[in-house]
Amino acid sequence: MTISILYFGMLAEATGHPSETWEATDPLSVGQLREQLLQKYPVLRDRKFQVAVNQQIADSAMSINTNAEVALLPPFAGG
Amino acid sequence: MEKTHTPKKVFVDGPISPQFVSDSIAKHQSKTNIGAHSIFLGQIRADQKEGGVVTGIEYTAYTDMAEKVFHEIREAAFAKFDLVCMHIYHSLGLVPTGEVSLFVFVSSAHRRASFEALEYVVEEIKAKVPIFGKELVGETGEYTWKENK
Repeated sequence: MTISILYFGMLAEATGHPSETWEATDPLSVGQLREQLLQKYPVLRDRKFQVAVNQQIADSAMSINTNAEVALLPPFAGG
Repeated sequence: MEKTHTPKKVFVDGPISPQFVSDSIAKHQSKTNIGAHSIFLGQIRADQKEGGVVTGIEYTAYTDMAEKVFHEIREAAFAKFDLVCMHIYHSLGLVPTGEVSLFVFVSSAHRRASFEALEYVVEEIKAKVPIFGKELVGETGEYTWKENK
């Protein structure tokens, strides 16, 4: 299945791009995707980030469906 | 509380001017059921960093999600506190040191609701809205990424 991944702030900088299309096996949990991303981008290992799926903060057990919009969010700095 | 509020535009390009704040206050003179306004203004500090002094913050956001979260915070605040109205504005792009990047304006019949709602809304924004800030340091193009505590 295909999902899209968005990178923000320092994570876009670390991965070198703001977004990409990701081919993944189905089923896929947030935790599994996190592992795959850390493998592709070892630089993310020492970065703190949350994952949002379809604009909702997700825990690692949440499953990701095809065409989902997954976002990697570094620490918030609003205000 | 059954009433829901339509999502409002929160993001503004660049700093929020004192004129904008005073115009917002003026617009409420016709709302005579209001007895108390509380206003929070977030201003960019010239923090000392290793490479020099912070000269400004460049804000970016996951805007689609941020607008949803701002709306949820508004709805929650209206449900929790007895408010007449509420306005939230946040900057995107560059905001130089000394200028305002966050403007929260809550109004109620009596002071207590507006005091409490203001603190609640500001804390929720800091904790939950996906906004990111690059603190520009010195004059050489260095920067660090800001993180809310």
